[in-house]
Amino acid sequence: MFKKLLVANRGEIAIRIIRAAEELGIKTVAIYEETDRFAMHIMRADEAICIGPGPRKDYLNIDKIIQAAKKTGAEAIHPGYGFLSENPEFPKKCREAGLIFVGPPSDVIWNMSSKVIARNIAESVGIPLIPGSGVLPDGEEGDERALDFARQHGFPIMVKAVSGGGGRGIRAVYSENELLKSLKVARSEAKLAFGNPEIYLEKGLLKPRHVEVQILADAYGSIIHLGTRNCSIQRRHQKLIEIAPAMLPPLIEERVCEAAVRAARAAKYVNAGTVEFLVDAENQYYFLEVNTRIQVEHTVTEMVTGFDIVREQIRIAAGERLSIKQEDVVIRGCAIELRINAEDPQAGFIPQPGVIEVYQSPGGHGIRLDGAAYQGYEIPRFYDSLIVKLTVYGFTWEEAVDRLKRALDGFNIVGVKTTIPFYRAIVDEPDFRSRNFDTSYIDSHPELLNYRVEENPIDKLARLIAEINAHGYNPYADIP
Amino acid sequence: MSRPLLKDLPLHDRIAFVREYEGYLLTNNERDVSQSDFKGRIMPWTTLRVASLRDEVGYFAFEISGGASVHVDLMRKQINPFEKLRLVREAMPKTLIQAVCRGHSLFGYRPYPEKVIRFAVKLFAQYIDVWRCYDFLNHIDNLAVVGEEVIKAGKIFIPSLCFGIGPEHTNEFYLSKVQEIVNRFGKEDIILGIKNHSALGTPERIADLVRAIRSDFPELVIAYHGHNTDGNDLARMMSAVRAGAKIVEVSDHGFGAWYSQAPALSFVQTMEDYGYEPKGLNLDAMIQTSDILRQERRYYERFESPFKGVDPLVRRHKLTGGAVSMAYEQAEQIGLLPRIHEVFQELAQVIRELGNIWPVTPGSQILWSTALSNVLYGRYEQPSDDLKRLLLGHYGPFPFYDPPEWIYEKVLEKGRTDGKKWHKILAEEGSGALKTRRPPEEDFEARKQELEKELGRTVTDEELCLYLMFPRDAVNYLRFERQFGKTWLLPPNVWYHRGRFQDGTRITFVDDKGKSHYIDIVSTQEAAGICKTSCIVDYHFKTFSVPLPVKAS
Repeated sequence: MFKKLLVANRGEIAIRIIRAAEELGIKTVAIYEETDRFAMHIMRADEAICIGPGPRKDYLNIDKIIQAAKKTGAEAIHPGYGFLSENPEFPKKCREAGLIFVGPPSDVIWNMSSKVIARNIAESVGIPLIPGSGVLPDGEEGDERALDFARQHGFPIMVKAVSGGGGRGIRAVYSENELLKSLKVARSEAKLAFGNPEIYLEKGLLKPRHVEVQILADAYGSIIHLGTRNCSIQRRHQKLIEIAPAMLPPLIEERVCEAAVRAARAAKYVNAGTVEFLVDAENQYYFLEVNTRIQVEHTVTEMVTGFDIVREQIRIAAGERLSIKQEDVVIRGCAIELRINAEDPQAGFIPQPGVIEVYQSPGGHGIRLDGAAYQGYEIPRFYDSLIVKLTVYGFTWEEAVDRLKRALDGFNIVGVKTTIPFYRAIVDEPDFRSRNFDTSYIDSHPELLNYRVEENPIDKLARLIAEINAHGYNPYADIP
Repeated sequence: MSRPLLKDLPLHDRIAFVREYEGYLLTNNERDVSQSDFKGRIMPWTTLRVASLRDEVGYFAFEISGGASVHVDLMRKQINPFEKLRLVREAMPKTLIQAVCRGHSLFGYRPYPEKVIRFAVKLFAQYIDVWRCYDFLNHIDNLAVVGEEVIKAGKIFIPSLCFGIGPEHTNEFYLSKVQEIVNRFGKEDIILGIKNHSALGTPERIADLVRAIRSDFPELVIAYHGHNTDGNDLARMMSAVRAGAKIVEVSDHGFGAWYSQAPALSFVQTMEDYGYEPKGLNLDAMIQTSDILRQERRYYERFESPFKGVDPLVRRHKLTGGAVSMAYEQAEQIGLLPRIHEVFQELAQVIRELGNIWPVTPGSQILWSTALSNVLYGRYEQPSDDLKRLLLGHYGPFPFYDPPEWIYEKVLEKGRTDGKKWHKILAEEGSGALKTRRPPEEDFEARKQELEKELGRTVTDEELCLYLMFPRDAVNYLRFERQFGKTWLLPPNVWYHRGRFQDGTRITFVDDKGKSHYIDIVSTQEAAGICKTSCIVDYHFKTFSVPLPVKAS
């Protein structure tokens, strides 16, 4: 096992990795951009090193990060999620520099980042694919093929960027006219966003659920799955709430998990990863993509299996064998995770940078918090607006939802608007409570945004006392 | 034998209980103590602190609403008057809750449309068991709508005679008014009130009136409400009871009030000499209440009258007890306090000129502001709109005689450009049946929409009712409530605090769920027009920023 790990990330995931490393007796190095110098992960690591003025560009600079590792004597780098985590150049350059990359090898990331290659691999091991067009050529030929595809499979059709992911570079079209118009726009957007203008088409599914399987693979050919997650509740293709397990019919659950392991094996996968599927109303499942990183929502899997995925990641990267056998994996109960962001849901989820004046969090049985904010912390406008990731566990779905409601009510965050009241509206919503949701849930429940934010009543009184103090008399009772 | 729980009895039985009661019953009037001696500022904190003790005393009723209190609740205490009633009701389950009502002016200063009166009474009657109701012109028609609704709600109605002195204020006159009341509401299911708001008349005069009423209307139950402005109301109450009145209104000696009611315990002790045992009264609870109130009183010191002590000269100026503290406040604000005797002299003159009517709300405001204005600007040189309305008959007819022609001329013709003479103005703007001079009815739905638009949410009937009575102040209050919540939970010394809080000040209070809280003031910083108050609220640290008003150069 290596002795020092550089965490090439920030925020809650950096702290999550630091915690796992601490438990393994590994020293940690945090990196940061100047614009992020008060971030909590810096305080939690054993050492920290500033890699540049930022914002956002230095966290993406592989050379600076490798230099930082060299300078601090770190032997390994964990990329977390986002930033460079799925950039195949990063593991490659790490290896060249003699550093261990905590994640899959470069070629695996490369293959999985290509939707087409990933689909080919999945197809090769018999996993159903959503009917797709393959990469569309430019110009009239591409238009013709697109129309043929539409006539064969019907609408809706999804137009996707070959290099897209994480919900970006996807659009749904419902008519031939719309399809033709969107091809051009999608190409130019894909080029702008991902540097690759290639696009393809997929058949749209009815009432699809987003289901994913957590896998772990060591360098010795052992591959296991840790069960499923349901990530259907999304806003504009960004996951909002994740649940483990996906609670599919047992046979389907088993098939999906087996398919995920098959896909990972075919891809020569090593380390932690996620194989994503769409499951339609008839429980027919289709391969979607593979994420070659630790996921934000890995915590729900940890809650229902009891395993520490990041710990396993580090052990695998250090050349150790998987410490868990498939038969050790027992899914018990239910876990729900959501992201409490400094955003105003009623204003289109616009980020709310600002100072967190008060931060109080819930506790008690079955509640896990992965946070990066603290009272007095100024949420910088340059990075994501995550304040804390809340994961709750319950022995049943109902218990987990009740606990989620209790946990949300236990937060007291003052200074910035948060997504908490929006989530409160969701936990009280009957379709959510009865697990009747698919990827259209947020769009089909616009009333969720009609919540009212009520300040803590004692805080209101304290604010009045501040008014009396400021004026030197009570302006609502008296005259100066 | 314990007394039956009066609020659980049917109306008829409740009145019968009082009629047949041997001895006297007491009503504790905190509403009037607050209004007469503390500018209406006694906070629910204090009321609730002693509520359970007062509930043990065995009072017939506890007056906590009506009069100016509804308006002051909204304007100066920032509490919903309905919420206050709910809190008191819950804290005093054994005692009847009482309010005073200004006839068709309800809890305000001008007559309301009939639909508004009915709507308001219906809503308030959910909590108010006893309704003292009067008209400052003793025009009994003005009590009609309130009385109908109160009786319909099964609550006790106390139509009250405003009592005064002077050549016209004879037993004959008052008995004619009692007859009007009986004609309208019957004798069996009401209590007749004598409202001695200005502490007038000798004990013997009150006894004489009670005897006269008892002689002509032996079935009528009589309640006496007096003020102790001249220091003699103990004697008047005693005379009233000995002459046959069943209920008298008292204060707690802990408030040591001047211009409101005489203390209960003093009355009880005096009556013992005349063979009236303190039947059904828990004197320990009465004493304990005052022990607490004596401590609370310091919070309200700033609102007490600048002149301490009784005022036997009230017989001349007749200012109603309920208006004394506010009248002084007004005089002080305009710099007339040193000339207060001049104003009192003028008030006595104005009362005589304006028909020797009763200087009680809203009449007291009209008469007092006219006297102030006369002293400041010359006699009737700057008449108020309310004085014009009084002359035009909007409140009802003058009971004894009309004011002299020159007052009509001066008040109604001044500043007019239409060339109309007062008799023509009166004929066109003030004549006709009284009904035609009543304010136009409200479109409830339109007003409700107006309020909902103003607040950006749906509103309850109670909120609409407050809006119909006090449009601007109700909106301000409802906005305040949304912003700051249940501020009545705060101690009065915080609510009425002057100056900055010292660092280290700890404010403690119990919320409406019984949970204790504390707010520690850590520091106050002022910079760039912002005052930052840092404090620990329960167990977390917070800083609140308040922009400071720009000081006039």
